[in-house]
Amino acid sequence: MSKPKDFETALQRLEEIVRKLDSGDLPLASLLEVYEEGVTLSRFCQTKLEEAERKVEILNRKADGTLERTPFAEPDTDPGSHD
Amino acid sequence: MNLFAPRKIYTVSEITADVKACLESEFSGVSVEGEISNLVAAASGHLYFALKDKGAQMRCVCFRSRARFLKFRAEDGLQVVASGSLSVYEPRGEYQLIVDFVEPKGFGSLQLAFEQLKTRLQAEGLFETQRKKPLPLLPRCIGIVTSPTGAAIQDILRILRRRHENMQILIYPARVQGKGAAAEIASGIRALNRLAEIDVMIVGRGGGSLEDLWAFNEEVVARAIFESRIPVISAVGHEVDFTIADFVADLRAPTPSSAAELVVSQKKAMLEQVAGLENRLQQSFQFRLSQLRNQVLTLSADRVFASVDGRLGYYRQRLDELSFRLQNGLSSHLGELKAHERLLAADLGRFDFRQTIRFRRETLGSQFSRLQASAKLFLQSTRGKVHALDNSLQALSPLAVLDRGYAICRDTHGNIVKDATTFQPGDSFSVRLARGQVEGQAKRIQAAED
Repeated sequence: MSKPKDFETALQRLEEIVRKLDSGDLPLASLLEVYEEGVTLSRFCQTKLEEAERKVEILNRKADGTLERTPFAEPDTDPGSHD
Repeated sequence: MNLFAPRKIYTVSEITADVKACLESEFSGVSVEGEISNLVAAASGHLYFALKDKGAQMRCVCFRSRARFLKFRAEDGLQVVASGSLSVYEPRGEYQLIVDFVEPKGFGSLQLAFEQLKTRLQAEGLFETQRKKPLPLLPRCIGIVTSPTGAAIQDILRILRRRHENMQILIYPARVQGKGAAAEIASGIRALNRLAEIDVMIVGRGGGSLEDLWAFNEEVVARAIFESRIPVISAVGHEVDFTIADFVADLRAPTPSSAAELVVSQKKAMLEQVAGLENRLQQSFQFRLSQLRNQVLTLSADRVFASVDGRLGYYRQRLDELSFRLQNGLSSHLGELKAHERLLAADLGRFDFRQTIRFRRETLGSQFSRLQASAKLFLQSTRGKVHALDNSLQALSPLAVLDRGYAICRDTHGNIVKDATTFQPGDSFSVRLARGQVEGQAKRIQAAED
């Protein structure tokens, strides 16, 4: 069982596994193995969904023409402002 | 009347100059309605054409300095009102209208320009559905091309904040109206395409007049969206506003807020899908486990195996395990299929999918009989194997040998004795016969004679 590459791949594999388990023609020997892989994939997907952090940045053009990122001040998060 | 008075004789140039002066003073600042014909767009950027109606036609020229302000494309057959001044082109002695401004007759130039660009890009295939890219299931970072001070960015950030969504956002600041806006938007789309981590892009602005939204109707923006490697969501103005950018974009959001909702709801749907899959995973696994348990129970109770003794227990258990799995599987699987059918029927009840339900029912029936047949076959063959094992174990059993008149001799420790010399006179031993047992003492020891 290899580590899932990304969310899309993991989700696809998880769907495959559930289909396999549902079909019921899995031999006893691989039942547990497949189940464990399914649980790992499901946890991976959930983690991926939850882990995103909030970050808002804006690109600024520097004198030499390259782009530089700086945090974007959201008005509602400014001190003293009200939503 | 003096017939010999000197007549006024003009040179061609003189009279042409007079006519020109006359026309220019008399017909300056006129508007003429007619149909464009014989249009030639010269390499210099000047436009030459004739305006005609049923009875007449006149030459017109629109110099580059003016022509570049035309929003729409001048085309033959177009009914227009051309404004300018009459003049004479001396080398040919032709009078012509020097055009300052052309507007289409019947609708605004912006509207015409919109229709013309739409038709052209559509013919080129920029709106083709199969060219549209799917949105990523789980965007890591959203690029936004819009004004950092406009309403659109505020709306988007507010939606994400309200939904408590933590996402990475990278804003490319671009003017979204006025001169140069289209070029800035286009270069924003290209700049974000060079950043690897961005996997979806929102391009848009808040509401405004047709003129305010115009940048999103320009060809440079359409081309930049079309060439984008990253899927583009267009979000321009209000729900009723349709722009060229909307047609080219991979997805049109009616407003910037709904663009944010789209990205977020995608994620919510993903969370639900993963939870659903995990649930099914657990249920399937539990179901299979209970199948195995039930199989063991059923077969232990089977009378066929009641007579099989001692060492057969292992095989019996194994068989129990296997065949109960099948037997129980029949009813559980059928139950599961039926529950599934009920779910489907309930789900589809709202629609008239009787056809589908009937088909499902037939599939269920044939699945069940297939399952039944293979279970029967499996049970038969497994039982046969157990009987064969039972027979060979019986043949090997020492009890069968004793039946033929042999006996087994053991010492006081219960060890089987095969050599007489291990005995000392007076040692105790026991003899196991087919029926019963005899205790004894050694009297005389005789070694084997070979």
